[in-house]
Amino acid sequence: MKMNVNLLKLSALFLALPLTANATENELVEQGKYLAKLGDCTACHTIDEGQANGGGLPFTTPFGIVYSTNISSDEEFGIGHYSLEDFTDAMRDGIAPKGNLYPAMPYTSYHLLKDHDIEALYRYFMSTKPVKQENRDNDLMFPTNIRMGLKAWNLVNHDSKVFEANADKSEKWNRGSYIVNGLGHCGECHTPRDVMFAMDQSRHFEGELIGGAEASDITPKELNRQGWTKQDLDDVLRKGYSRKGTVFAGMYPVVFHSFSHLTKDDMSAVTSYLLDNDGEVAAKSDTFNGHDKSDPGYDLYKGYCAGCHGINGEGKPNVSPALIANATIDKAIPINTLSVMLNGVEEQRYSHTHGFYAMPSYRDTLNVKQLTELTNYIRKVWTKQPSDLTESQVQEWVDKIEDSIADAAH
Amino acid sequence: MSTIALSINNKAIGPIETSDDVMMIEFLHEHLNMTGTKFGCGVGVCHACTVIVDNEDGTSESVRTCINGVSRFNGKKIRTIEGHAKENEFGEIIKLSPVQETFIENFSFQCGWCTSGFVNETTVLVEKLKLMPIRVNEIETVIEKALGDHVCRCTGYVKYYKAVKELILSTEGLTRP
Repeated sequence: MKMNVNLLKLSALFLALPLTANATENELVEQGKYLAKLGDCTACHTIDEGQANGGGLPFTTPFGIVYSTNISSDEEFGIGHYSLEDFTDAMRDGIAPKGNLYPAMPYTSYHLLKDHDIEALYRYFMSTKPVKQENRDNDLMFPTNIRMGLKAWNLVNHDSKVFEANADKSEKWNRGSYIVNGLGHCGECHTPRDVMFAMDQSRHFEGELIGGAEASDITPKELNRQGWTKQDLDDVLRKGYSRKGTVFAGMYPVVFHSFSHLTKDDMSAVTSYLLDNDGEVAAKSDTFNGHDKSDPGYDLYKGYCAGCHGINGEGKPNVSPALIANATIDKAIPINTLSVMLNGVEEQRYSHTHGFYAMPSYRDTLNVKQLTELTNYIRKVWTKQPSDLTESQVQEWVDKIEDSIADAAH
Repeated sequence: MSTIALSINNKAIGPIETSDDVMMIEFLHEHLNMTGTKFGCGVGVCHACTVIVDNEDGTSESVRTCINGVSRFNGKKIRTIEGHAKENEFGEIIKLSPVQETFIENFSFQCGWCTSGFVNETTVLVEKLKLMPIRVNEIETVIEKALGDHVCRCTGYVKYYKAVKELILSTEGLTRP
């Protein structure tokens, strides 16, 4: 009887071993799946109505078009033939087995990833559905079409250092920094580029005009000045809208595919890092200075804006955001106020019950004089910003918006 | 209060005083008793409330009246669904516009709620094509671009599209080789 019990125990051990190994592998794959959402990998590596991770999405850069590649587990067209070392080199240094990757792939941020997370991502991508889709050749001008040049670019601009915690800050703040600067790769859009088109870390997160809209200044200084609370940031990153306004342009897919999937703890770490504050942040009172009915901007506001944003800027739930407390209009330089007037905002659907309708484009409707009057008026009524913008200033910003390249890569 | 004076279907209206938050569709309905323009979604999505604004430079544009306040139309010339057909001196309709005719011939209307928007948008389209004719193989794309945002909950799209296509093909000068 005793022997039988031992035999049973032994059998159980043999049975348990592969199960335990599988559980670990599955756990790693699950972790990788979550991390891939944080990195928003699928958004860039999937074309509209295409198979997930099959690549082929075009990115217009100042040097031509770069197409994202197939990162499914397919061994012929995807990355199924990569070893963990190959994958690590691609993620950390932009070096794929076939040669250097263009920094449209944000290895310039992903290098911060810890080994464990890279391995989890690797396990996940090896488990994805293989997609039989050939990669498209990039359409780049000379000399940027020569990949060898990227080695020199990396030498000058790329630091492959893994994330190091800041000992002066909390664990939570460091987790936030790791997510935001690493997989979140927020700086790729929100940090201005230098003459070499590398992120200018001396102006970290100070904002950059990209694809017709500005990836806003998200420094703690600016976010705190605008009066964002942690809940506001949690709302805008998880749901796309908040007391401080909504996301639009390139940030909508980021929220939809990536930030809306963050765990509560990770989101709390992100908001602590962005506001540089581990504690709660008190909300500031909303600004509404009242209407000035003698201002020519008042007529424009009533005629073009009040139908959706409300006569007093209160907005309409699930239709259009409020202007009261809206961070987009509370900026020293009103690039995004002008951007939404010129380009409109596409419809945003987060779920069956939650979304916003499209804002029309007024590019062909409002002239520069009207844009100036309207922008000044909105600033006068709902912000503490000066409302003395001139037509020539507005024209300059309009030109910048029109010149900024659509769909620019990161 | 806002004061508005404008031309609607070639008739001078106003000056009339309205509240500041009055949308153009309310002004048409409540102040002028012009109820042919229909209020649908109220948030600029369905385009049922579309009217035509004739600009000074000779161009025309379609504008939704549920999301645009009266001050947007102050001093402007606009056309509504009531202004398309010809009337006699007693105010009786004696002839429909070609756009209205083609929709009736094709039995495009069902409940009729979206019809005023479709008629106005198609009228703008036809006038644009008179100035800039298109190739025959471009017709469907052009119709989709012009009318694609108009919602018909009776789902009569096929008959609307068929009617507009027929009208473009049968009207001289709208297409080119």
